[in-house]
Amino acid sequence: MTIMFLIGTAVCALSTLTCWVMTAVRNHPADSSIISIAAIELYLIAYGIYAVIRQAMGASITGEAWEFWGYVLTALLLPVGVFIWAMVDKTRWTNLVMSFVGLVVFVMVYRLEEIWWGSAL
Amino acid sequence: MGKRTVSRGRNHDAAGFSAAAPGTSVPTPRNRGVGMLIITAYGIFAVSAFARAFYQITPFPQEDKVQFADAPLALSLSAFAAAVYILATLALARTSATAWRIALAAVLVEMAGVIGVGTWTLVQPSAFEVATVWGFFGRDYGFIPLILPFLGLFWLLRHRPSETVSAED
Repeated sequence: MTIMFLIGTAVCALSTLTCWVMTAVRNHPADSSIISIAAIELYLIAYGIYAVIRQAMGASITGEAWEFWGYVLTALLLPVGVFIWAMVDKTRWTNLVMSFVGLVVFVMVYRLEEIWWGSAL
Repeated sequence: MGKRTVSRGRNHDAAGFSAAAPGTSVPTPRNRGVGMLIITAYGIFAVSAFARAFYQITPFPQEDKVQFADAPLALSLSAFAAAVYILATLALARTSATAWRIALAAVLVEMAGVIGVGTWTLVQPSAFEVATVWGFFGRDYGFIPLILPFLGLFWLLRHRPSETVSAED
């Protein structure tokens, strides 16, 4: 288990929890929900930069490079796509829609770690 | 976004469920409120199933990657699942009566697909050495593919076109 994976797990878990709480207490998109998925996006950018630097310096990954970068790109687009979709209708449920980002990104980071190191745990 | 002004007070609490209640003045359209969650889930599966099928089928020149010729059945089923999810997402997100029928058909095909393919992989695992999206009832995806068509069907039946007609633009 890498530090990056631990940070990612924490960021995703906090984001999803924040969005769930906000679903209960706000009937409009909460600033904290939006900031929490922005934090996930920032984390993914950092993860991507880390991977670029490490692989540019000659380190290899266990799995396929194509699959790895496919996951990174899809993960980077996810918070943006979900945010745009969530803002179509600004209700309580916008927060719940945004809570999906943390869940899905966690799974994607788990897969990324498997591709990168051979195992996430 | 400093001050929180809520302009849509009318629409608070359980907005998504009000559409089923007869006599409600403005029912929530089926692609709003809770419906947005279901569409988001479908959208995520559309993207991930498409990405998986695309990666599996595209002949990237790698030694240990399974090529299409090695597992045509599993890979075709992945592509089919991706197509069904994309169609269902688009149809669920639209409000017309035609979209409702397309969405219903897509959700039923999805339900038959995940149960059929899931059973098939259990009965004849030798035909599926390569995993497919609906294999083992969507085990690779936390069995969400098994739950999703039931949620979709429930939502569609709660929001028949005649009830949402007034909400169409």
